[in-house]
Amino acid sequence: MTGTTTGTDAPTPAQPTAAARAERGTWSLSWHGLRTVTRLELRQRVRSTRWKLALVLWVLVVALITGLTTWAFAVEARDSSYSGPGDPFGGMIYSIVVLFVLFLGLLVAPTLSSGAINGDRNAGTLATLQVTMLSPAEIVLGKLAASWLAALAFLVASVPFVVWALFAGGVTVLALVGTLLMLAVVLGVVCAVGLGFSALVTKPSAAAVLTYLTIGTITVVLPILFGLLAPLTTTSDPVRVWTQTSFDQDTGFAEECEWRTQVREVWHHERTWWMLAPNPFVLVADAQPLVADPDEMNDTNLLAMMQYGVRYAMTDEGAERNECWTRLGPDPDAPVEETVVTDRMAWPWGLGFDLLLGGAGAAVAVRRLRIPAGVLPKGTRVA
Amino acid sequence: MVAASLSTMSPGSGVAAHGVRRSFGSVQAVADVDLVAAPGRVTALIGPNGSGKTTLLLMLAGLLAPDGGTVSVAGFDPVTQSYQARSRTGWMPDVFGTWDSLTAREVLTTVAGAYRIAPADGGRRAAELLDLVHLTELADQPAHVLSRGQKQRLGLARALVHDPEVLLLDEPASGLDPRSRVDLRVLLRRLAAEGKAVLVSSHVLAELDEMADDAVFLSRGRTVAAETIESAGETRRWRITALDPEALVAHLARAGVAYDVDPDGGSVLVPLSADTEAAALLGDAVRAGIDVVSLAPAGGVLEQKYLALEEERR
Repeated sequence: MTGTTTGTDAPTPAQPTAAARAERGTWSLSWHGLRTVTRLELRQRVRSTRWKLALVLWVLVVALITGLTTWAFAVEARDSSYSGPGDPFGGMIYSIVVLFVLFLGLLVAPTLSSGAINGDRNAGTLATLQVTMLSPAEIVLGKLAASWLAALAFLVASVPFVVWALFAGGVTVLALVGTLLMLAVVLGVVCAVGLGFSALVTKPSAAAVLTYLTIGTITVVLPILFGLLAPLTTTSDPVRVWTQTSFDQDTGFAEECEWRTQVREVWHHERTWWMLAPNPFVLVADAQPLVADPDEMNDTNLLAMMQYGVRYAMTDEGAERNECWTRLGPDPDAPVEETVVTDRMAWPWGLGFDLLLGGAGAAVAVRRLRIPAGVLPKGTRVA
Repeated sequence: MVAASLSTMSPGSGVAAHGVRRSFGSVQAVADVDLVAAPGRVTALIGPNGSGKTTLLLMLAGLLAPDGGTVSVAGFDPVTQSYQARSRTGWMPDVFGTWDSLTAREVLTTVAGAYRIAPADGGRRAAELLDLVHLTELADQPAHVLSRGQKQRLGLARALVHDPEVLLLDEPASGLDPRSRVDLRVLLRRLAAEGKAVLVSSHVLAELDEMADDAVFLSRGRTVAAETIESAGETRRWRITALDPEALVAHLARAGVAYDVDPDGGSVLVPLSADTEAAALLGDAVRAGIDVVSLAPAGGVLEQKYLALEEERR
């Protein structure tokens, strides 16, 4: 038996791919490869009726919430004695719609990516992509781009309602742009986390649950932990207090005040504020222009309130207190250095953390798609 | 024979595996496989269910890392030179998953894109391949309306998109109708004639008989034999049927020919090592006045070989 019977011992079939033969590794990326994977994924998504149904439902729910909020505050405004420009509750309507869109987005985004890898593996279509000249990074990032674009479609579908709320007044266009950008980034991060879990576990539903847990951790668990850690971050500090030495017996208002140094329990929340930063709601709230003076917020805006809260948490309360209560509230003439809420921003830190989280998800997925596969995770098959 | 072909095969072509092992947990799927699939030839990979055929093909396709041994595909190591090896390998899996909502044409153009073929060339290549596997009429139907056999043909087309040097086909004929089986055989012969190394796994031996040049037998994850199918001087069994079986048996006994009466009744099995012997046997029998109805090889070469191996193992 001889190996070659055709006479050409080095077959040279036409190679349409000869130009691209340079060795490519796990992390190689090309526009061509990304586009191929993204188009494949989007084609499949667009053709599924489930997705269209979800989009229609989404629009209905967001419309309902926007409508109800507008109506409720319109009734409220009629009864109030507000005389300024625009709707007194414009900012409130806007912030409720934005927060609700974010909430729905956090519910929908994990389902968009949590089946992207293990679902394909179960359907036997993942290996057929892996054996091609696509790199693992191209497959993962292509899938990420597709699920992110799908999530953005939901966001785009809610833009009319957010803009509608904007017209109610009280919010600047700059705030709107910042908010939408941050919403888009947050959805992308959730998709990336979902993709990572999709590569780690066999079942799409399990990946979705793990993604919800992760998002739940940064959204709910960390803020709770921030509160629970208060005893640990509270210390007994000497505080200079501008306090009343005598007061009116009838009204209780101060007549005379002076400096006293007292030992007070001070909660140093400026040491643990970072636990609030990765929270998607905080991110979106903090990434708008700071309202100059919270006391002058002439309408209530949930986003602005959250932003103020976070900035306050970042601020060291200082070593002086004004406890001289007069008819006008705290003594306006007190020589007390007032605590000024910081204008340092929380969102870059939160964004950085969340991007790292999303990046870790994508990196895990890429590592899991490397071939040839060594040890296979339990319950997975190659093809 | 494996050793001979290893030494004569030019390096950097076809498929060569040496001492390949792979286990999943405690299950040793592939224990020790030596295999050569030379360019220009169709090599059959034969073994019962669970003998490690699919695992072996996954390793050759570069999807699974072997625990030990060496593999070379088109001159590249699928482990260390994955990209180079992949770009020259066409793999058709046994369980055929497809992107259900895509049309047959889109499946092929997508795969062409994944092999970095320019869109225009990819479209042309897709049309060519659809024609080759007779799916042109269904080209723009979603893949989920295709029958199992049609999907199988689409899978074959998919493996050919980038004109690979090495073709790894896992049970390509399962689900195919007789016409498609013939087409598959003709196609694989043609691809081999173009100089490609074609490795086909199956446990349906009759279909391999007609298309394969070489055969590698696997059992319990080991290579138990590697054969060239048309090997000269190989003894195989022929089946003779006569109107009067007793007269035939008497004739064979008189002529001193070794024979077995087929337990199925009616016919007699005779080991012969060449076609000329068969002709001589037939001539003698007819001259002796036996009414011979038929004389033909009993089962395919592969089937006989396979059954012989099974018997040896018992």
